Amino acid sequence: MPLPPRDFRLIGPREGQRFPDVRLPDQDGTLVDLHAARASRPALVVFYRSAEW
Amino acid sequence: MAAAGIALFAISYDSVAILRDFAAAHGITFPLLSDEGSHVMRGLGLINERVQEDHAAYGIPPNPRHVNLPYPGVFVLDAAGVVTRKVFHESYRERDSGGGLVAQAIGLFTTSPKAATAAGPVVTVRAWLDSPTYAWFQRLTLTVEVTVAPGHHVYGQPAAAGLVPLVVEIEPLAGLEVDSVTWPEPHRLVLPGLGDEMWVHDGTVRGTLALTFTGAPGGGSHAIGIRVAFQACSATACLIPSAVRLEVPVREVALVGRSLPTAAAKT
Repeated sequence: MPLPPRDFRLIGPREGQRFPDVRLPDQDGTLVDLHAARASRPALVVFYRSAEW
Repeated sequence: MAAAGIALFAISYDSVAILRDFAAAHGITFPLLSDEGSHVMRGLGLINERVQEDHAAYGIPPNPRHVNLPYPGVFVLDAAGVVTRKVFHESYRERDSGGGLVAQAIGLFTTSPKAATAAGPVVTVRAWLDSPTYAWFQRLTLTVEVTVAPGHHVYGQPAAAGLVPLVVEIEPLAGLEVDSVTWPEPHRLVLPGLGDEMWVHDGTVRGTLALTFTGAPGGGSHAIGIRVAFQACSATACLIPSAVRLEVPVREVALVGRSLPTAAAKT
């Protein structure tokens, strides 16, 4: 039996809250500050499994 | 994306080297951020700690690759960086990999939903999809909005004997998997002189259900037929049960980038 669905409202940053600061290297190895790189634009932040498989 | 004034970031646990190759192979210019070790995703509370358990439930053996995986999904941020919407999926089998997920999320910004409408004297029904397009294994959300004229209500489930509850049926379509509808909780109504309590909706109520396109790619465009049945009553009189039919169009888009596993593949 599949497990019951989760309440995704409770997983990760909540709606109505500022997305936390994230600094990670990009594909060129350049450290990216997500909010700085947005440059006051709206943004989509996609979490995905892996580019490799 | 840049032209639309929207920044796009994609985060996975892949190394910079893997992301560099992936970006080069697929001509990706937006940032693919490397969260090797999944520390940031863990800090955000996005790691699916139940993935092995989930897989075991489907008879899939443990796999070291499946540790530290995030729930697949998208956060939509406004210009101030505030989360305005989250779109998450339970599993990676039904996923919006790459193009599909991003196209769907872009739709949140760029398309106001085109609703099909069936207006009656007491009940108006509208229905729309959250994306005008789908890709293989993409899950779309269908919203069905029922507006009941003041002084009237429709029935939730369970409906009392002899009354027809609000029901949505999606006409079968090859390769389309349909989940059941989620409605807000109906509220209790007790009418003087009638012994039974009734569970009703009034005003405007929106139900949602997930549609997943699992047929082979190349399914093309469809008109999704939606039948909504209900019975509207006031405190003193009931109308005869009624049903309306709506159609919402959806168009297939090719997946961007890498191929997806086949439906039978266990990853």
